[in-house]
Order: sequence, then structure tokens, then C-alpha cells
Amino acid sequence: MAESVTAPMVGKVFQIQCKVGDKVEEEQVIIVLEAMKMEIPVTAPVAGTIKEIKVSEGDTVESDTVLAVIE
Amino acid sequence: MSNTQQKVQDAMEEKVQDLLARKDKLRLGGGQAAIDKQHASGKMTARERLDYFFDAGTFMEFDLFAKHIGTDYGLDKQTLPADGVVTGYGKVNGREVFAYSEDFTVVAGTYGERHGKKICKTVDLARKMGVPVVGMNDSGGARVTEEMGALSEYGQLFFRHVRTSGVIPQIALIMGPVAGGQAYSPALMDFIFMVAKTSYMFIAGPPLVEAVVFKKTTNEELGGPDIHGRISGVSDMTVADDKECLDRTRQLLAYLPPNSSEKPPRLEPTDDPTRVSPELRRIITADPRRSYHAHDVIAQVVDNGEFFEIKKEFAPNLVVGFARLHGYTVGIVANNPPVKAGCLDVDASDKGARFIRFCDAFNVPLINFQDVPGFLIGNEMEAKGIIRHGAKMLFAYAEATVPKITIVLRKAYAGGYLAMCSKDLGADFVFSIPTAEVCLMGPEGAVNILFRKELAAAENPKAVRQQRLQEFFDKYVNPYYSAALQHVDDIIDPQDIRPSIIRALEVCINKQDELPRKKHGNMPL
Repeated sequence: MAESVTAPMVGKVFQIQCKVGDKVEEEQVIIVLEAMKMEIPVTAPVAGTIKEIKVSEGDTVESDTVLAVIE
Repeated sequence: MSNTQQKVQDAMEEKVQDLLARKDKLRLGGGQAAIDKQHASGKMTARERLDYFFDAGTFMEFDLFAKHIGTDYGLDKQTLPADGVVTGYGKVNGREVFAYSEDFTVVAGTYGERHGKKICKTVDLARKMGVPVVGMNDSGGARVTEEMGALSEYGQLFFRHVRTSGVIPQIALIMGPVAGGQAYSPALMDFIFMVAKTSYMFIAGPPLVEAVVFKKTTNEELGGPDIHGRISGVSDMTVADDKECLDRTRQLLAYLPPNSSEKPPRLEPTDDPTRVSPELRRIITADPRRSYHAHDVIAQVVDNGEFFEIKKEFAPNLVVGFARLHGYTVGIVANNPPVKAGCLDVDASDKGARFIRFCDAFNVPLINFQDVPGFLIGNEMEAKGIIRHGAKMLFAYAEATVPKITIVLRKAYAGGYLAMCSKDLGADFVFSIPTAEVCLMGPEGAVNILFRKELAAAENPKAVRQQRLQEFFDKYVNPYYSAALQHVDDIIDPQDIRPSIIRALEVCINKQDELPRKKHGNMPL
């Protein structure tokens, strides 16, 4: 089943640390946001394969924006 | 023995046998089939819970013989043992505690009039004796056949919870359904623990939701432990099963005083009060853009690393819970940088303020770890009322008269600095470590405002900006500036955080501070 990875808060995409097809562990940091002058790690909610990355570095995102999809 | 004597003795024997038989029958609740069903659904019975919860052999029941009041709809012909709730008192680690435990095997633990009166009596006794009360909830809701009798007793119970609030700790355990108006009983108490898989709470169940607002839903989706633990913030802890729920309740009670006139019990210290933690120099990163977990810091500082966390899943940008320092109970409030940069948002402010007020009500000193870039800003937060909610943190800390000790680990910016208990909000001692940044405004923001014209006109704005940033940092942001102005009492080596807090706590432990005479304050809600 596909699981969405969402932004925990409003911010800017600082670093994407995975690519489509990568296998990731649960809790692994896959994207880093920047907000309040800090790096905000976004982790995989489940183990699986990155099916889709919906943002690019530099994009601004709202909280709950889907950043990536894991299958 | 004469014949007459023998007869009298036999009569007594008969009466005692009759008593024992009556008690045995009542103690069987709704009967073996219902007990088997309770077990099959993964739950202990009301009496098994009490037996497990209290120190062996200490539970004393009252009102076993209480009989239901309603007579309509065939109730006059029914037997409802103990009216579906077991009430009494016992000892937890040798200390007295009152408890009521709803019996789901008796007409689904429904809340009838007598059922309510029994619970109210338990709360009344607990308050009068200055002893904590624990409610084990497992009920299908109001007993509709008793109509106003049930509704009125809800009101009676809510009234008692409120009048008892702040006198004794009131702890609600959700060990099955808690439906309808009854959900407000736990909500008016101090802590709510919910058992995974078997418990849920809502003011209206799935059938009513579907009938009235046309949405199909389930007990779990509507009011399961995940919803209340993570999203609504109603629950303080999700536990795996009944036994863990009762174990955790015993642990919580060990941190707390029996009532607000007493101090929390001090345990024999089992960890060195002078223990330094070189690890803290590594855990707390000096890179202000990077995070560390508040839990890792707390584990280094408190006795044996033991931390009893409250509302772990809800607003994890702020971490709160109980711990011990040199045997003394303390309440910990810590910003957690990996989540939302450790900012105070609407939910974190509600969570923090409620915990602070509990600690203040029950004489639990507060230890505050600051690393906060500020209140969370932006359209969403303003629309949700960060001003109204954030104000609760300020109110709660300013109002608290217990010892308050604050440690600035890194960021302590603007309103966030005040809201995490600065000197101005009444902190008795404030320590910082060399990475602390105590200031009204971060250097970037300040430089943008102060040198806007200069930066716009500069040939090399990047270099000018860098120079102005460094200058501002050296002047105002470093902890020596705030220490020079007495906002910080001392700047310490991170490895000395534990011994420094403990010495401050020891000197604060008999602190006297009183609020001005008033009826009560008007906390922003």
C-alpha cells in the first residue's frame, strides 16, 4: 500500500536525500526542510520503496503537503 | 453446650453462610458467560483490574450491596450486581488510593443513577481524606432506562471532579468504551490513559454520527487511542493492555503527593547527584541549524535516565513529563528541536500549559529546557490563535509558585524565551551553556531591520551583511551579554547540567511564594 510522506510544517525544501526507486527504512530521513532557520528532517513513516517525489529543492511547502510517496 | 446455645450458634453460622453466599454471587457480576466474553475481548474484569492494581490484599470494597434505582422497562425484575461498578480503596506501594471500576459484564457497565451515586461517593471520600482517586472506565454510556436519574448523576460527577480538581490527583483509565456525556468525566480529571485496541471515547458513536452527519466511521477512527493520543490531545498515554495501564498508573502515583497540601514523596536517591555527563557536550550540537532529541538530554540529566512522559505523541515539539532529581519529583518541560524546530505552536502551548498547571497545583518543581526559535509563525498559526494559545504558556509559568529552574541550551528567542520560563516569568534560577543564544531577535532578522539601507547601498552586500551579523552576534546573542544583565545566573559546562540543577533544586525546595488574594485568575482558554 502506498504511504504519503507529508510536510510536518510550513517551510522550504532544503535537501532531497533520496531518489525514486530507493529502498528506505522506517524513520530514515528522506527529505530535509528548512523553516525557522533550522533544518527539519522528514522521515519515512514506513519502510518501502520511494515511488514518487513530488517536490524539488527550493520549493516552498505548506504543512501536510505531500512530499513523496512510499510503496 | 445446651440445646438453646447450639441453636443460637447455628443461627449465626447460617447467617454468615448466607452473607458469604450473597457476596460471592454479587462478586460474579454479570455471570461466567459475560466474564468469558470480557476475557475474550482482551479485557480484564472490573474486579481483576482492582486486584491487580492494588497491593495484594489491601482492597476494601464498599457498596457491594447497592441496588439500582430505576424500575421502568423491566428493571424492577432485574438484578444488577453492585449496579455495574465496583468502588473502594486500597494501597498502591503502601499509599492509600480510592478507585472505582466499571463492570462491563453488568448491562455493559451502563451508568445508572445508583452507579453514578457510588462513583460520586468515591470521589467525595477521596477528596475528604486527601487521597488520589483512580477511575477505571468501561461503560456503554448512560443507562437509558433510568433517564434523568443517569443524566443528573453525570452532572453530579462532573461537579465533583471540578470541585476536587487541584485538591487530589484524579486519574482516568479508559479500558473499554466511554461513550456520550460520560466522556466528560475523564476530561475533567488530571490524566487519561487509554488501552490500545479495546478503548475508545467519543461524545457520540458511529451509529449516531452516521444518522446525523451522514458519515460512516468506526469506533477506532472516531475516538480510538491514536486519535486522542496524537491528534485531539485528549489522552495522555496509550498503553498496550490492561496490565500495562495499571502498572503505569502505579508508577505515575509514585511521583505524586496524595493531595495539594503535601509535597511529592522523596525516594531514597539511587543516582549520584554530582554525576557529570560528558555525553551532553556531544548530544547538544553547536550547529544552530541542526537538531538533537530532547529525550537524549533528559535521559542524561535525570536520576537513572527514568522519564515518565505525558502526551508523548501529541505536539512532540514540546516534551513534558515527570522524573526525579536526587530523589525529588520534578516536572520536565523541554523544547524538542527535531519537530517543528522546537517551536511553540497552538497544540504545544496547550500541552505545556496544562502540564505546568498540574505541577504547580501539586507542588512539583519545574525544570525547563529551552531551545526555542520562538512561537511558530505564519498564516496558519495566527488563524488558529497562537496569540490566545501561546498566552497559556506565559500565564501558566507566571502563575506557578513552585520552584522553577530553567536551562537555556541553545535558542531562546523573543516570546519563546519568555514562554519557556525566563527570569521575568519568575524562574528562580536560569543557567545557560555556552551555545545559548538569548535575544530579542535572531541576528538575521535584526540585521535586516537595522542595516536595511546600508545593505541596499553596499557594493558588496554579502560581505557587509556577514560583518554586521558577526558584530550583532558578538554584541547581543552570546550568553555573556544576557549573563552580564543578570538574565542568566550562570553559564555552565553542558556536562554539569545535572549537578547544577540538583543544587539549585535543593536550595529551592522550601520556596515560599504566594499569589495576590483573588477569587481566581482569568487564564486565556
